[in-house]
Amino acid sequence: MSDHDEKTAEDRGDTRDGGGESGDRLRKELPQEVPAAAPAAEEAPKEPEPEPVAEAQPDPGPRLTGRQRLVQGLWPPRVTRAQLIVAVLLFGLGFGLAVQVASNSDSDSALRGARQEDLVRILDELDDRTQRLEDEKRGLEQQRDELENSSDQAEEARKQTIEKERQLGILAGTVAAQGPGITMTIVDTKGTVEADMLLDAIQELRAAGAEAIQVNGVRVVAGTYLADSGKGVSVDGNKINAPYRFKVIGKPQDLEPALNIPGGVVQTLEKEQATVTIERSTDIVVDALRAAKRPDYARSSSQ
Amino acid sequence: MIAVLGLVVGVVAGLLVRPEVPAVVEPYLPIAVVAALDAVFGGLRAMLDGIFDDKVFVVSFLSNVVVAALIVFLGDKLGVGAQLSTGVVVVLGIRIFSNAAAIRRHVFRA
Repeated sequence: MSDHDEKTAEDRGDTRDGGGESGDRLRKELPQEVPAAAPAAEEAPKEPEPEPVAEAQPDPGPRLTGRQRLVQGLWPPRVTRAQLIVAVLLFGLGFGLAVQVASNSDSDSALRGARQEDLVRILDELDDRTQRLEDEKRGLEQQRDELENSSDQAEEARKQTIEKERQLGILAGTVAAQGPGITMTIVDTKGTVEADMLLDAIQELRAAGAEAIQVNGVRVVAGTYLADSGKGVSVDGNKINAPYRFKVIGKPQDLEPALNIPGGVVQTLEKEQATVTIERSTDIVVDALRAAKRPDYARSSSQ
Repeated sequence: MIAVLGLVVGVVAGLLVRPEVPAVVEPYLPIAVVAALDAVFGGLRAMLDGIFDDKVFVVSFLSNVVVAALIVFLGDKLGVGAQLSTGVVVVLGIRIFSNAAAIRRHVFRA
């Protein structure tokens, strides 16, 4: 705007002050001079101008401060040529400004207004970003697969553990069992059947592959003992009396012949005047249970 | 006052009408706006200095806009459009700041 400044300095002669070039120079040397035309009230706030550029410029107008000029320009509104022209130009500026701001704030037109090299750069950045996200996705998918596999394995192990627990529970007598087998009833009217005969029967059944045995409501397990007890027999401390009813789960075709072999359990019992009846069945329920007992001394040596 | 009204009316009209900017003008509009802002600040300073002249203002306003657009156009043709428009914006920004400083001294005396 320097050309503007010089030009207007020359162009605008001050009519009120009547000062030309010489008058200006004179005034610069005599800063205390009070212009006759200007009202005293306007002159009151006159201060040394802090702006060095403004100081250097000869002031052609009345001794108004910039602030007063601004106020004068703003109020009262005057319809002059200058004001109208400036208004038109400022209208253009405001219009352009608003349009640009509006079009810039739309997200898609931000791309539309971009230069070709900017677009190429944005595209490259997007490609990079896509690549990175793709890598990340692949890594996460791999992680997910691993987790799924491991959880599958854990589930499988859990199933196997439950299955094993069930099998061991049948052996230990902590769970009920059902399946094909036989029912053997020993009717002992004379009271001649003793514990060792029943033990023989149990041993025979075990040898023939019996998987779960109960005698008169007492589960027979690995640690079961039998003892004579008065007229009856004590099984693990539970006294039972004749008739002795064995419920055995196992393969019936193996169990029954094992009991019936010559010189075997049935013949020995019948020699003692007891009556033995054996029935095969496809569905024997062994539901006598035994509390799981924690061994006092023995500890598992595997893991 | 009329000038300020013109600016306000322009902004309002631009916001209300929301015209589609023609593709040809699009790269030059932001630079032109900044150049016009520079001219307006210069004009305001000149007014405060008491040396305002409407003819000079019109010429400087229009020439600022045209030259700024021309520089950007030339930069685009030369393949340095982005850098050149950055340069133009920087230069105009410096001028706007110095003009604003002069205006501030006038208005606030500080």
